[in-house]
Amino acid sequence: MTTRAEFMARIRAELGKTRGLPPATPARRPERPRVEAEAIRAELAERWPEALERFRHELEKVGGVFYRVATLAEVVPVVAGIARERAARRLVSWHAAELGGDLGPALTAHGLEPVAMPPGEVASAAERQRLRELVAAAELGLTGADLAIAETGTLVLSSGAGRPRSTSLLPPYHIALFDRTALVESLAQAGVFLELWHADGEPGNRGAVISFITGPSRTADIELTLTRGVHGPKEVHAIFVEAPIRG
Amino acid sequence: MSQADLSIPFRRRAGRAMEDAFLQEALTIATTKFIGLRREAFDAFPEGERLRDVAREIKEATLQHLDRYLEQLIGNVERFGGRVHFATTPAEARAVILEIGRRAGARMAVKSKSMATEEIHLNEALEAAGIVPVETDLGEYIIQLAHERPSHIIAPAIHKTKGQIADLFGKELKRTVPADPEALTKLARGELREKFLQADLGITGANFAVADTGTVVLVTNEGNGRMVTSLPRVHVAVMGVEKVVPSMTDLMVFLAILAKSATLVQGPRRAGELEGPEEFHLVVLDNGRVDQLAGPLREALDCLRCGACLNVCPVYRQIGGHAYGHTYPGPIGILLTAMLNGPGSVKELAHASSLCGACVDACPVRIDIPRMLIELRREVDEKRIAPWIERVVFTSVGWLLARPLLYGLAGRIARVLQRPFVRDGAIRSLPLFGDWTRTRDLPAVASRTFRERWSELERETPR
Repeated sequence: MTTRAEFMARIRAELGKTRGLPPATPARRPERPRVEAEAIRAELAERWPEALERFRHELEKVGGVFYRVATLAEVVPVVAGIARERAARRLVSWHAAELGGDLGPALTAHGLEPVAMPPGEVASAAERQRLRELVAAAELGLTGADLAIAETGTLVLSSGAGRPRSTSLLPPYHIALFDRTALVESLAQAGVFLELWHADGEPGNRGAVISFITGPSRTADIELTLTRGVHGPKEVHAIFVEAPIRG
Repeated sequence: MSQADLSIPFRRRAGRAMEDAFLQEALTIATTKFIGLRREAFDAFPEGERLRDVAREIKEATLQHLDRYLEQLIGNVERFGGRVHFATTPAEARAVILEIGRRAGARMAVKSKSMATEEIHLNEALEAAGIVPVETDLGEYIIQLAHERPSHIIAPAIHKTKGQIADLFGKELKRTVPADPEALTKLARGELREKFLQADLGITGANFAVADTGTVVLVTNEGNGRMVTSLPRVHVAVMGVEKVVPSMTDLMVFLAILAKSATLVQGPRRAGELEGPEEFHLVVLDNGRVDQLAGPLREALDCLRCGACLNVCPVYRQIGGHAYGHTYPGPIGILLTAMLNGPGSVKELAHASSLCGACVDACPVRIDIPRMLIELRREVDEKRIAPWIERVVFTSVGWLLARPLLYGLAGRIARVLQRPFVRDGAIRSLPLFGDWTRTRDLPAVASRTFRERWSELERETPR
């Protein structure tokens, strides 16, 4: 087997043979991501309605559905409406702390069967298995979103405690909530936030996976006919909440 | 057409592909559609052109300091609890992965689409070791059931009709299903969902790896990448050594020009997470790449495996992927095959290009494929890998072109000798060169050559 030292030595030896390559530099990174991220937020305090309109337009282009409500409480009838039209009842969601509030009782009152995920990891393997089967059988998955990128209609979801990966993956209908603090205009701006999340080198509360979700799961592998929901959600619904959801 | 047999000459393989009426239609529809979609995407994205240059520069900057960025990547993957393995050859890569599978007691491995694992022929090795590999990308799943190999980098099953797929599912899955993409996809979803929930091992490639954060990035559209990296207990990512990018800022440039759905994985499940693999392994693969850091095919290390050059290539559009006979088809595939298997493996393929340059225009990082194909042709000629007749013709023409007086004389002699063969101003067939003239016309030597007219003009025009 090749060791790390051998592998690296070969690379260094080959790099040593290169001559006269034109100088090249990677993309310019934000020097102080926190300051730049705050600057983006400050700019968007003015421009957010345009960014939100762009997000709606791009999301719809990739087959997503957009909604806008005033408060977190108003999310419930929207979710209930989506469920009713699809004759769906079983809903799994991120933990209330990650979603910005406990929507469980209100969803139940609308005839849904909501189950919130636990706030952290679960020691018992049997319980983990039970939860996985529950998520796999659910029709609706309700999550938050860390970023909503206007130019591409992309939702960015970071995994972590109380925000399991499968909530937005296994159920056929994914519903994501976001507010103004998540909205950015471009992938370049999203890059500043990704730099910020990784800036101190420590993961903090973040989990190991960040997902960029651009519309429903789709394939064109059979005669290039576009088909939705091949593995992940068949439908992606994004609900913009005007009142701040978190903090 | 299924698997290409390399004992058959390329010309015959290509000929068979061109006689396959279905394949011809599928290729035309698929490549035309891809070209249209790409044009639409770039038209709606004005900074796209500038970002292509930025992306190319990032690739170059990373390659020039690959040692530094790779060390940084390794350090960060390990810091988050992942393990990094090094494989110089495909055999080493297979051994590393099988050992991981054995220690995990794995019986089944779910895979998301990965050209690197195709390149090392991982599936056969897994099967032999008693681990059932399941391709989960729909196109890859179809061709795995059919025991074939991908015919396109990003649309592996474009050579199959929905009718053929329905028959295949009927035979392999014992289920009757109408020949309708929607119904076929739904059946595959159900079958594969079971596998995702059962598998012990998840195997992926890596489109990028971010040195600064130790993050492996998978670009997918189906969501299978997220399944494979979240549900099984062990995740193995196989990455070509050139896939490193320095930072998240750089990554955003590539997501902008390539795809907008991606999974960013930073090591195994973290404390507090309900789900995610307990083990994360990164296998860094050389397989001929390191030799090219200072080699003639260096620029091909910038390739993102997007398949854009296949769709626009007049040769690929005629013969499809299988006729190339190797893991990577199309114009870039010729270069990658030479990189992986040496120039001897492409002595025929090096000529399977009209050098029209459509690939350079389509390439998101503007790789100069024709330039390297010419280099390759020179190399197979100089190393005496090319057939003798080709070498004799190239050597003598090269010699003649370097001697203007003899060249002029040869033109005058040819003007006389060509007479019996010229019809309507072109040579339609030529003894000894029948293969060449069968599909091409050679323009006849003009009654007055350019050089002759030029010297006349110079005499007529007073200085």
